[in-house]
Amino acid sequence: MSDQAATRPDDRKYTKSHEWMKVDGDTVLIGITDHAVDELCSGNEGDLVYCDLPEPGRQVEAGETFGEIESVKAVADLNCPIDGEVVENNAEIEDHLEILSRDPWNEGWMIRVKPSGKIDDSEMMDAAGYEAYIAE
Amino acid sequence: MRTFRLLDLAAHAPARNMALDDALLEAGDDTPVLRLSTWEPAGLSLGYFQTLDDVPSARAADTTVVRRFTGGGAIHHGAELTFAITAPASDPLYRGPVADSYCRVHKAVVRALAAFGVEARIGPGTAGVVSDRAGTGMCFHAVTSADIVWDAGAGPAKGVGSAQRRRGGRVLHHGSIKLDTDPLEPGVATVSAAAGRPVDARAMAKALLDAFVASFDAEFEPSALTDAELAHADRLGDFFADPRFLADRRARPAAR
Repeated sequence: MSDQAATRPDDRKYTKSHEWMKVDGDTVLIGITDHAVDELCSGNEGDLVYCDLPEPGRQVEAGETFGEIESVKAVADLNCPIDGEVVENNAEIEDHLEILSRDPWNEGWMIRVKPSGKIDDSEMMDAAGYEAYIAE
Repeated sequence: MRTFRLLDLAAHAPARNMALDDALLEAGDDTPVLRLSTWEPAGLSLGYFQTLDDVPSARAADTTVVRRFTGGGAIHHGAELTFAITAPASDPLYRGPVADSYCRVHKAVVRALAAFGVEARIGPGTAGVVSDRAGTGMCFHAVTSADIVWDAGAGPAKGVGSAQRRRGGRVLHHGSIKLDTDPLEPGVATVSAAAGRPVDARAMAKALLDAFVASFDAEFEPSALTDAELAHADRLGDFFADPRFLADRRARPAAR
Protein backbone atom coordinates (compact mmCIF):
# COMPACT_ATOMS: atom_id res chain seq x y z
CA MET A 1 0.00 0.00 0.00
CA SER A 2 2.69 2.52 0.90
CA ASP A 3 4.55 1.71 -2.33
CA GLN A 4 1.42 2.42 -4.34
CA ALA A 5 0.78 5.58 -2.34
CA ALA A 6 4.23 6.93 -3.32
CA THR A 7 3.46 6.44 -7.00
CA ARG A 8 -0.14 7.50 -7.39
CA PRO A 9 -0.29 8.78 -10.95
CA ASP A 10 -0.21 12.53 -11.39
CA ASP A 11 -1.64 12.33 -14.91
CA ARG A 12 -5.23 12.28 -13.71
CA LYS A 13 -7.71 13.82 -11.29
CA TYR A 14 -9.23 12.27 -8.20
CA THR A 15 -12.64 12.54 -6.54
CA LYS A 16 -13.60 12.54 -2.89
CA SER A 17 -15.45 9.28 -3.50
CA HIS A 18 -12.16 7.68 -4.63
CA GLU A 19 -12.61 7.51 -8.38
CA TRP A 20 -9.98 8.77 -10.79
CA MET A 21 -10.49 10.40 -14.19
CA LYS A 22 -7.85 10.55 -16.92
CA VAL A 23 -8.25 12.48 -20.15
CA ASP A 24 -7.49 10.29 -23.16
CA GLY A 25 -7.94 12.19 -26.41
CA ASP A 26 -11.53 13.35 -26.68
CA THR A 27 -12.69 10.84 -24.08
CA VAL A 28 -11.89 10.17 -20.44
CA LEU A 29 -11.11 6.96 -18.64
CA ILE A 30 -12.62 6.45 -15.19
CA GLY A 31 -11.64 3.96 -12.52
CA ILE A 32 -11.25 3.63 -8.76
CA THR A 33 -8.17 4.22 -6.67
CA ASP A 34 -6.03 1.76 -4.79
CA HIS A 35 -7.37 3.33 -1.60
CA ALA A 36 -10.93 2.48 -2.63
CA VAL A 37 -9.93 -1.09 -3.40
CA ASP A 38 -8.06 -1.41 -0.13
CA GLU A 39 -10.98 -0.09 1.92
CA LEU A 40 -13.26 -2.65 0.31
CA CYS A 41 -11.07 -5.67 0.67
CA SER A 42 -8.20 -4.80 3.04
CA GLY A 43 -5.62 -6.34 0.74
CA ASN A 44 -7.53 -9.59 0.16
CA GLU A 45 -8.14 -9.41 -3.59
CA GLY A 46 -10.35 -12.47 -3.34
CA ASP A 47 -12.79 -10.39 -1.32
CA LEU A 48 -13.88 -8.51 -4.45
CA VAL A 49 -16.71 -10.63 -5.79
CA TYR A 50 -18.85 -8.68 -8.26
CA CYS A 51 -18.71 -5.57 -10.38
CA ASP A 52 -21.44 -4.11 -12.57
CA LEU A 53 -20.41 -1.66 -15.28
CA PRO A 54 -22.71 0.23 -17.64
CA GLU A 55 -23.10 -0.71 -21.27
CA PRO A 56 -21.88 1.60 -24.04
CA GLY A 57 -24.52 4.12 -24.94
CA ARG A 58 -25.56 4.83 -21.38
CA GLN A 59 -25.80 8.53 -20.54
CA VAL A 60 -24.16 9.48 -17.26
CA GLU A 61 -24.25 12.60 -15.15
CA ALA A 62 -21.75 14.07 -12.76
CA GLY A 63 -22.36 12.69 -9.28
CA GLU A 64 -24.51 9.85 -10.57
CA THR A 65 -23.82 6.18 -9.91
CA PHE A 66 -22.45 4.46 -13.00
CA GLY A 67 -21.96 1.03 -11.51
CA GLU A 68 -21.53 -1.03 -8.39
CA ILE A 69 -18.86 -3.18 -6.87
CA GLU A 70 -19.27 -5.82 -4.19
CA SER A 71 -16.70 -7.07 -1.76
CA VAL A 72 -17.43 -9.93 0.62
CA LYS A 73 -18.99 -7.52 3.09
CA ALA A 74 -20.11 -4.38 1.24
CA VAL A 75 -21.67 -3.08 -1.96
CA ALA A 76 -20.30 0.29 -2.99
CA ASP A 77 -21.49 2.68 -5.66
CA LEU A 78 -19.15 3.79 -8.41
CA ASN A 79 -19.67 7.50 -9.06
CA CYS A 80 -19.21 9.32 -12.34
CA PRO A 81 -17.46 12.70 -12.06
CA ILE A 82 -18.67 14.14 -15.36
CA ASP A 83 -21.62 14.34 -17.73
CA GLY A 84 -21.34 12.28 -20.89
CA GLU A 85 -21.93 9.01 -22.67
CA VAL A 86 -20.29 5.70 -21.92
CA VAL A 87 -18.53 4.60 -25.10
CA GLU A 88 -16.67 1.58 -23.75
CA ASN A 89 -16.48 -0.51 -20.61
CA ASN A 90 -13.70 -2.75 -19.42
CA ALA A 91 -15.62 -6.01 -19.35
CA GLU A 92 -12.41 -7.87 -18.50
CA ILE A 93 -12.46 -6.70 -14.91
CA GLU A 94 -16.02 -7.96 -14.31
CA ASP A 95 -14.62 -11.46 -14.70
CA HIS A 96 -11.19 -10.74 -13.23
CA LEU A 97 -11.68 -8.41 -10.31
CA GLU A 98 -8.16 -9.15 -9.10
CA ILE A 99 -7.02 -6.68 -11.78
CA LEU A 100 -8.31 -3.88 -9.54
CA SER A 101 -6.00 -4.98 -6.74
CA ARG A 102 -3.06 -5.53 -9.08
CA ASP A 103 -3.32 -2.41 -11.25
CA PRO A 104 -6.21 -0.01 -10.59
CA TRP A 105 -4.52 2.72 -12.67
CA ASN A 106 -4.05 1.16 -16.10
CA GLU A 107 -5.40 -2.34 -16.56
CA GLY A 108 -8.13 -1.54 -14.03
CA TRP A 109 -9.86 1.28 -15.96
CA MET A 110 -13.61 0.80 -15.74
CA ILE A 111 -15.38 2.98 -18.29
CA ARG A 112 -14.52 5.30 -21.14
CA VAL A 113 -16.80 8.34 -21.34
CA LYS A 114 -17.22 10.92 -24.05
CA PRO A 115 -17.87 14.18 -22.18
CA SER A 116 -21.00 16.03 -23.19
CA GLY A 117 -19.37 19.39 -22.71
CA LYS A 118 -16.48 21.13 -21.07
CA ILE A 119 -15.15 19.01 -18.23
CA ASP A 120 -15.61 20.61 -14.82
CA ASP A 121 -12.84 19.23 -12.62
CA SER A 122 -12.96 22.08 -10.12
CA GLU A 123 -14.11 19.68 -7.37
CA MET A 124 -11.45 17.10 -8.18
CA MET A 125 -7.98 16.79 -6.76
CA ASP A 126 -4.55 16.19 -8.19
CA ALA A 127 -2.47 13.28 -6.85
CA ALA A 128 -0.94 15.32 -4.04
CA GLY A 129 -4.30 16.69 -3.05
CA TYR A 130 -5.84 13.23 -3.02
CA GLU A 131 -3.08 11.84 -0.87
CA ALA A 132 -3.57 14.65 1.61
CA TYR A 133 -7.32 14.03 1.53
CA ILE A 134 -7.07 10.35 2.38
CA ALA A 135 -4.50 11.04 5.06
CA GLU A 136 -6.98 13.21 6.99
CA MET B 1 -20.72 11.53 24.20
CA ARG B 2 -22.20 11.14 20.76
CA THR B 3 -25.86 11.20 19.89
CA PHE B 4 -27.64 8.69 17.69
CA ARG B 5 -31.25 8.83 16.62
CA LEU B 6 -33.16 5.70 17.67
CA LEU B 7 -36.04 4.28 15.69
CA ASP B 8 -37.09 1.74 18.28
CA LEU B 9 -38.33 -1.78 17.68
CA ALA B 10 -41.20 -2.00 15.25
CA ALA B 11 -42.56 -4.68 12.95
CA HIS B 12 -42.81 -3.94 9.25
CA ALA B 13 -43.58 -5.87 6.09
CA PRO B 14 -40.49 -7.07 4.19
CA ALA B 15 -40.55 -4.49 1.40
CA ARG B 16 -41.28 -1.70 3.88
CA ASN B 17 -38.27 -2.69 5.98
CA MET B 18 -36.04 -2.40 2.92
CA ALA B 19 -37.62 0.90 1.91
CA LEU B 20 -37.03 2.33 5.38
CA ASP B 21 -33.36 1.35 5.32
CA ASP B 22 -33.00 2.89 1.87
CA ALA B 23 -34.71 6.06 3.04
CA LEU B 24 -32.33 6.45 5.97
CA LEU B 25 -29.36 5.91 3.66
CA GLU B 26 -30.55 8.29 0.93
CA ALA B 27 -32.50 10.92 2.82
CA GLY B 28 -30.88 10.87 6.25
CA ASP B 29 -28.66 13.60 7.64
CA ASP B 30 -25.32 13.53 9.44
CA THR B 31 -26.73 12.19 12.71
CA PRO B 32 -26.26 8.41 12.87
CA VAL B 33 -29.47 6.41 13.13
CA LEU B 34 -30.13 3.03 14.71
CA ARG B 35 -33.30 1.30 13.52
CA LEU B 36 -34.54 -1.92 15.14
CA SER B 37 -37.14 -4.08 13.49
CA THR B 38 -38.78 -7.41 12.98
CA TRP B 39 -40.45 -8.66 9.83
CA GLU B 40 -44.22 -9.14 9.72
CA PRO B 41 -44.87 -11.30 7.87
CA ALA B 42 -41.56 -13.15 7.80
CA GLY B 43 -39.68 -12.72 4.56
CA LEU B 44 -36.59 -13.79 2.68
CA SER B 45 -34.16 -11.11 1.54
CA LEU B 46 -31.88 -11.83 -1.40
CA GLY B 47 -28.41 -10.32 -1.48
CA TYR B 48 -28.11 -7.60 -4.12
CA PHE B 49 -26.00 -9.59 -6.56
CA GLN B 50 -27.84 -12.89 -6.09
CA THR B 51 -30.28 -14.36 -8.55
CA LEU B 52 -33.41 -16.27 -7.57
CA ASP B 53 -31.72 -19.39 -8.92
CA ASP B 54 -28.91 -18.96 -6.39
CA VAL B 55 -31.38 -19.47 -3.54
CA PRO B 56 -33.58 -22.56 -4.00
CA SER B 57 -35.77 -21.69 -1.04
CA ALA B 58 -36.66 -18.34 -2.63
CA ARG B 59 -38.81 -20.15 -5.14
CA ALA B 60 -39.76 -23.16 -3.07
CA ALA B 61 -40.72 -21.69 0.27
CA ASP B 62 -44.07 -20.02 0.91
CA THR B 63 -42.58 -16.73 2.01
CA THR B 64 -42.38 -13.16 0.79
CA VAL B 65 -39.15 -12.45 -1.10
CA VAL B 66 -37.41 -9.08 -1.40
CA ARG B 67 -34.05 -8.03 -2.81
CA ARG B 68 -31.74 -6.00 -0.60
CA PHE B 69 -29.43 -3.25 -1.81
CA THR B 70 -26.70 -4.82 0.28
CA GLY B 71 -24.66 -7.82 -0.75
CA GLY B 72 -23.95 -11.24 0.60
CA GLY B 73 -26.30 -14.18 0.86
CA ALA B 74 -30.01 -14.56 1.44
CA ILE B 75 -31.54 -14.30 4.91
CA HIS B 76 -34.90 -15.54 6.14
CA HIS B 77 -36.16 -12.95 8.59
CA GLY B 78 -38.39 -14.99 10.86
CA ALA B 79 -37.38 -15.47 14.49
CA GLU B 80 -34.79 -12.73 14.47
CA LEU B 81 -34.04 -9.11 15.25
CA THR B 82 -32.88 -6.83 12.44
CA PHE B 83 -30.74 -3.81 13.28
CA ALA B 84 -29.69 -1.11 10.85
CA ILE B 85 -27.22 1.72 11.41
CA THR B 86 -26.91 4.54 8.88
CA ALA B 87 -24.35 7.31 9.08
CA PRO B 88 -21.93 9.28 6.93
CA ALA B 89 -18.88 7.32 5.79
CA SER B 90 -16.81 9.85 7.74
CA ASP B 91 -18.50 8.83 10.99
CA PRO B 92 -16.10 7.23 13.50
CA LEU B 93 -18.14 4.03 13.23
CA TYR B 94 -17.49 3.73 9.50
CA ARG B 95 -14.21 5.49 8.81
CA GLY B 96 -11.48 3.48 7.14
CA PRO B 97 -11.63 -0.04 5.71
CA VAL B 98 -14.92 -1.91 5.54
CA ALA B 99 -13.40 -4.67 7.63
CA ASP B 100 -12.67 -2.25 10.46
CA SER B 101 -16.23 -0.96 10.52
CA TYR B 102 -17.53 -4.51 10.71
CA CYS B 103 -15.26 -5.11 13.67
CA ARG B 104 -16.65 -2.07 15.51
CA VAL B 105 -20.27 -3.02 14.93
CA HIS B 106 -19.76 -6.70 15.60
CA LYS B 107 -17.86 -6.13 18.83
CA ALA B 108 -20.91 -4.27 20.11
CA VAL B 109 -23.21 -7.08 19.00
CA VAL B 110 -20.98 -9.64 20.75
CA ARG B 111 -21.31 -7.51 23.89
CA ALA B 112 -25.10 -7.60 23.56
CA LEU B 113 -25.11 -11.36 23.15
CA ALA B 114 -23.09 -11.74 26.34
CA ALA B 115 -26.07 -10.33 28.26
CA PHE B 116 -27.77 -13.68 27.60
CA GLY B 117 -24.68 -15.72 28.41
CA VAL B 118 -23.92 -16.26 24.73
CA GLU B 119 -20.16 -16.60 24.30
CA ALA B 120 -19.90 -15.22 20.81
CA ARG B 121 -16.74 -14.31 18.96
CA ILE B 122 -15.80 -12.69 15.69
CA GLY B 123 -14.34 -15.02 13.09
CA PRO B 124 -14.60 -18.76 12.96
CA GLY B 125 -11.17 -19.39 14.40
CA THR B 126 -9.44 -22.68 13.78
CA ALA B 127 -12.33 -24.99 14.65
CA GLY B 128 -14.64 -26.05 11.84
CA VAL B 129 -17.81 -24.07 11.47
CA VAL B 130 -20.81 -26.37 11.40
CA SER B 131 -23.32 -23.95 9.85
CA ASP B 132 -21.67 -23.77 6.41
CA ARG B 133 -23.61 -25.51 3.66
CA ALA B 134 -23.03 -25.34 -0.08
CA GLY B 135 -25.81 -24.62 -2.51
CA THR B 136 -28.40 -22.95 -0.28
CA GLY B 137 -27.39 -19.38 -1.09
CA MET B 138 -28.17 -18.43 2.50
CA CYS B 139 -25.99 -15.91 4.30
CA PHE B 140 -25.95 -17.96 7.49
CA HIS B 141 -24.56 -20.95 5.58
CA ALA B 142 -21.38 -19.16 4.50
CA VAL B 143 -19.18 -17.78 7.25
CA THR B 144 -16.41 -15.20 6.74
CA SER B 145 -13.68 -13.96 9.04
CA ALA B 146 -15.76 -10.89 9.92
CA ASP B 147 -18.76 -12.89 11.08
CA ILE B 148 -20.06 -13.62 14.58
CA VAL B 149 -20.19 -17.26 15.62
CA TRP B 150 -20.96 -19.16 18.79
CA ASP B 151 -21.25 -22.74 19.87
CA ALA B 152 -24.33 -24.46 18.49
CA GLY B 153 -23.82 -27.84 20.09
CA ALA B 154 -21.94 -29.63 17.35
CA GLY B 155 -19.46 -26.77 16.98
CA PRO B 156 -19.29 -23.04 16.21
CA ALA B 157 -22.01 -21.73 13.92
CA LYS B 158 -22.91 -18.37 12.44
CA GLY B 159 -25.57 -16.50 14.36
CA VAL B 160 -25.51 -12.95 12.93
CA GLY B 161 -25.67 -11.98 9.27
CA SER B 162 -24.51 -8.48 8.32
CA ALA B 163 -24.13 -6.49 5.12
CA GLN B 164 -23.28 -2.93 4.09
CA ARG B 165 -24.20 -0.54 1.32
CA ARG B 166 -21.96 2.46 0.67
CA ARG B 167 -23.49 5.23 -1.42
CA GLY B 168 -22.98 8.94 -1.81
CA GLY B 169 -20.61 9.22 1.15
CA ARG B 170 -23.01 7.40 3.45
CA VAL B 171 -23.12 3.88 4.85
CA LEU B 172 -25.93 1.51 5.79
CA HIS B 173 -24.96 -1.50 7.87
CA HIS B 174 -27.79 -3.85 8.66
CA GLY B 175 -27.76 -7.20 10.34
CA SER B 176 -29.98 -10.07 11.42
CA ILE B 177 -29.51 -11.68 14.83
CA LYS B 178 -30.94 -15.20 14.82
CA LEU B 179 -33.10 -15.65 17.91
CA ASP B 180 -34.54 -19.08 17.23
CA THR B 181 -34.47 -21.88 14.68
CA ASP B 182 -35.65 -21.30 11.15
CA PRO B 183 -36.63 -24.10 8.75
CA LEU B 184 -34.90 -22.33 5.85
CA GLU B 185 -31.61 -22.00 7.74
CA PRO B 186 -30.86 -25.30 9.46
CA GLY B 187 -27.74 -25.64 11.53
CA VAL B 188 -27.17 -22.00 12.42
CA ALA B 189 -26.54 -20.64 15.90
CA THR B 190 -29.47 -19.09 17.77
CA VAL B 191 -29.55 -16.87 20.83
CA SER B 192 -32.33 -18.85 22.52
CA ALA B 193 -30.48 -22.16 22.21
CA ALA B 194 -27.24 -20.70 23.56
CA ALA B 195 -29.03 -18.87 26.36
CA GLY B 196 -30.96 -21.97 27.34
CA ARG B 197 -34.25 -20.03 27.34
CA PRO B 198 -36.43 -18.19 24.84
CA VAL B 199 -35.11 -14.75 23.94
CA ASP B 200 -37.51 -12.54 22.04
CA ALA B 201 -36.89 -9.53 19.84
CA ARG B 202 -37.79 -7.04 22.56
CA ALA B 203 -35.23 -8.49 24.97
CA MET B 204 -32.56 -8.66 22.25
CA ALA B 205 -33.31 -5.09 21.20
CA LYS B 206 -32.80 -3.84 24.75
CA ALA B 207 -29.53 -5.72 25.11
CA LEU B 208 -28.33 -4.43 21.76
CA LEU B 209 -29.17 -0.84 22.64
CA ASP B 210 -27.39 -1.15 26.00
CA ALA B 211 -24.34 -2.59 24.25
CA PHE B 212 -24.29 0.15 21.62
CA VAL B 213 -24.54 2.84 24.33
CA ALA B 214 -21.51 1.39 26.07
CA SER B 215 -19.50 0.44 22.98
CA PHE B 216 -19.97 3.68 21.05
CA ASP B 217 -20.07 6.00 24.10
CA ALA B 218 -23.33 7.30 22.75
CA GLU B 219 -26.79 8.31 23.80
CA PHE B 220 -29.71 7.18 21.70
CA GLU B 221 -32.52 9.68 21.42
CA PRO B 222 -35.93 8.31 20.52
CA SER B 223 -36.76 9.59 17.10
CA ALA B 224 -39.13 9.22 14.19
CA LEU B 225 -38.68 9.33 10.46
CA THR B 226 -38.30 12.84 9.11
CA ASP B 227 -40.68 14.07 6.44
CA ALA B 228 -37.98 13.54 3.83
CA GLU B 229 -37.23 10.00 4.97
CA LEU B 230 -40.90 9.10 5.12
CA ALA B 231 -41.56 10.55 1.68
CA HIS B 232 -38.63 8.57 0.27
CA ALA B 233 -39.87 5.31 1.78
CA ASP B 234 -43.44 5.97 0.62
CA ARG B 235 -42.25 6.69 -2.92
CA LEU B 236 -40.47 3.36 -2.99
CA GLY B 237 -43.64 1.50 -2.05
CA ASP B 238 -43.14 -2.22 -2.69
CA PHE B 239 -40.16 -1.70 -5.01
CA PHE B 240 -37.97 -4.15 -3.13
CA ALA B 241 -40.51 -6.93 -3.65
CA ASP B 242 -41.27 -6.02 -7.27
CA PRO B 243 -40.97 -9.20 -9.39
CA ARG B 244 -39.04 -7.27 -12.01
CA PHE B 245 -36.43 -6.22 -9.44
CA LEU B 246 -36.31 -9.73 -8.03
CA ALA B 247 -35.69 -11.10 -11.52
CA ASP B 248 -33.06 -8.50 -12.43
CA ARG B 249 -31.20 -6.32 -9.97
CA ARG B 250 -30.73 -3.68 -12.70
CA ALA B 251 -34.48 -3.21 -13.10
CA ARG B 252 -35.68 0.09 -11.75
CA PRO B 253 -39.46 0.02 -12.14
CA ALA B 254 -41.43 3.11 -11.20
CA ALA B 255 -40.19 5.03 -8.18
CA ARG B 256 -36.60 3.88 -8.08
